[in-house]
Amino acid sequence: MDLSYGPRYEDFRAEVKSFLADNADRAPRMTMRVVEHSQEVVDWQKTLIEAGYAARTIPREYGGYGAEPDLLETMIIAEEFSAARVSQGAAGQGISMLVPTLLEYGSEEQKRRYVPPTVNAELLWCQGYSEPGSGSDLASLSTRAELDGDQWVINGHKIWTSTAVEAGMMFILVRTEPEASKHRGISYLLVDMDTPGIEIRPLRMMTGSSDFNEVFLEDVRVPRENLVGERGQGWQIGKTTLVHERNFLGSSALTEGMLAACRKTLAAATDEQGGGNLVHGDRLMQLEGRALAMKYHGLRMLTDRLKGRNPGAAGLITKLNGCQLNNDICSLAIDGLADYGILYRGSPHAVDDGAWQKQYMFQLGMIIGGGTAQIQKNIISERGLGMPREPRATAGS
Amino acid sequence: MDFGLSPEQELLRDSLRGWLADELSIERVRETLDNGDAGAASRTAGDASAMQGLAGQGVLGVMLPEEHGGAGLGLLDAVVVATEMGRALTTVSYHSACVSAPLLLAGAGSAEQKSSWLPGVSSGKLLLSFAVGELEERDGALTGELRFVPDTATADAFVVVSGNGSEARAWLVERNAAGLQARDYHNIDITRQLGELQLSDTPAEALAESDELAGLVARVSDAARVVLAADSFGACERALEEAIEYAGVREQFGRVVASFQAVKHMCAETFAELEPLRSLGWYAAFAWDEQRDDAARTVALLKAHSAEVSTRSVMTTTQVYGGMGFTWECNQQLWFKRVGYNRQALGGPVAERARALSL
Repeated sequence: MDLSYGPRYEDFRAEVKSFLADNADRAPRMTMRVVEHSQEVVDWQKTLIEAGYAARTIPREYGGYGAEPDLLETMIIAEEFSAARVSQGAAGQGISMLVPTLLEYGSEEQKRRYVPPTVNAELLWCQGYSEPGSGSDLASLSTRAELDGDQWVINGHKIWTSTAVEAGMMFILVRTEPEASKHRGISYLLVDMDTPGIEIRPLRMMTGSSDFNEVFLEDVRVPRENLVGERGQGWQIGKTTLVHERNFLGSSALTEGMLAACRKTLAAATDEQGGGNLVHGDRLMQLEGRALAMKYHGLRMLTDRLKGRNPGAAGLITKLNGCQLNNDICSLAIDGLADYGILYRGSPHAVDDGAWQKQYMFQLGMIIGGGTAQIQKNIISERGLGMPREPRATAGS
Repeated sequence: MDFGLSPEQELLRDSLRGWLADELSIERVRETLDNGDAGAASRTAGDASAMQGLAGQGVLGVMLPEEHGGAGLGLLDAVVVATEMGRALTTVSYHSACVSAPLLLAGAGSAEQKSSWLPGVSSGKLLLSFAVGELEERDGALTGELRFVPDTATADAFVVVSGNGSEARAWLVERNAAGLQARDYHNIDITRQLGELQLSDTPAEALAESDELAGLVARVSDAARVVLAADSFGACERALEEAIEYAGVREQFGRVVASFQAVKHMCAETFAELEPLRSLGWYAAFAWDEQRDDAARTVALLKAHSAEVSTRSVMTTTQVYGGMGFTWECNQQLWFKRVGYNRQALGGPVAERARALSL
């Protein structure tokens, strides 16, 4: 057991700190939402790539910094930017999901055309995976694409599409081989969002905000060369990026921040609001124990990745545990506020403009999104613990 | 950055697991428990050959100084051992016999006390136990009652502590000392014996008086808490493995019950809680070994978290068996009770969280 990073990495940490000290004032303000990228965001992204703190491991010919992948360096950058509360540059599904996918499966032409503007924050993407009829059973998706000469013609209906309005392009899973089995009949396409036949409708959430959209596609024509990988390979390609998303959801950095905020809320709560720390100390310590366990579990999983070891089933639990824990932290903060905990944004007396209620609901969305908690339990038990799949129910049984 | 067990610790785990399966299997533990009465003679702790076997595996003196026959290793190594003992239901009060009692002696005993007792602990020839209570001392003799003392029936000597802060004092009381009476409890966990001691003008050898004694007592008690948490983890880990195996062969409604989501989700939830508990246990041991600033608080949070998770875990895995789970024959009951003991001993979850709040 050794939790130190060693001198080489401590030197690297010092470099990051010094960069932040010199440049942090040029960074755009941090926001939760990914919005259309302003010039300020694009400029900051350029600065970060030049210094090697964004697109770090993307090859130079595709607009990145071109460093060898190094998990600890990536972690140190994240830790220092987060400690300094400075934006780590452009985010979004293009950078986190599409770029790694193209680098692995894309043609040379696709990589040169799409990766540079995406990492430069000039081109924003949205994801077209889920459908009204295909949620947990994503592979049953029915949006079709048929080849007509040099063009794919897409018809269907996607849902849970964040940033659909702002995005210039969408990466989409479509059924191209209706005769093949459900996992083998799917292909991965790239769609320009300005193509005629695309209609976007905002989807209002229980929080009152519209963080997602529905996207309707009617006879949408895209060039034949916008296929990524082979026909029928789309499920395999799309699945790779989903694993990445699940490791991100429920990460312990977010939990630690929320726990610190919760502690602050409880400490500030007056007797009138429910007694704060004294009354709720037991629950706070329960949550802290769970959070600590997830924190050190994260270090254990990081070690497995550093050593190239497969963590097995133990690597599948982050999303399930982390999202529920975050939701429970919000619940405690709301209880700490007693009646004031009901107040929502815009209300007189609302504490932090009702932020805890919004987070509480948002974190419930996180428990459901990216593969519901119940789907996570299926994955853990079937893939992790080797338990058999539920037999298919037959009609009339 | 290397969070986890070293290759040596993994080797220790694997070899001890193999040895316990061959020499001290649950079947053998069950034979001694089922045949014996509630008394001590049936306990493995009183089984000289088993103790010497464990000594041969180098696990009794893991944390003791090398000059006294120990391995000179840390709490993380003891956690590896305790996890295996929890899995195998080894009938040893490891937290007291091999951790708190000898460590307090090693830290505060005289050279002579150490050389007379510690080598015997490592070799399995002498059994120590640890007790805390309110005692009166008069002319080197102690009077009072000590409750919840492990191995009262078999220990050769007791390391006893009385008083707090700068008033804390510690002694070594030998089993055959005049005026010492032991009484056996019937505790839920039949794999570890617990009882109480009555001392009336019982001669005792004082350990060194020091302002640091209270701190040392707190530290060895923390080590014992981490070991109890590891024991519970091991118990739950194996209980889950066996439950999954059983669910894979038990058929109802024409299919194995492991194929029902209701059963799978019970197992997945349990697994998802146990793995982070393992990680937290490793960190707490590491923090204790390195004397990190957050060690004491982490131990309190671990002890509380372990209690909650382990109780839920073994409640769940027992239910996987349906009615079978409620029988004496099913091993789940043994882990259930082991966890029940570990939960209360040295601080239950609410008490430990209150302690964490104050640390």
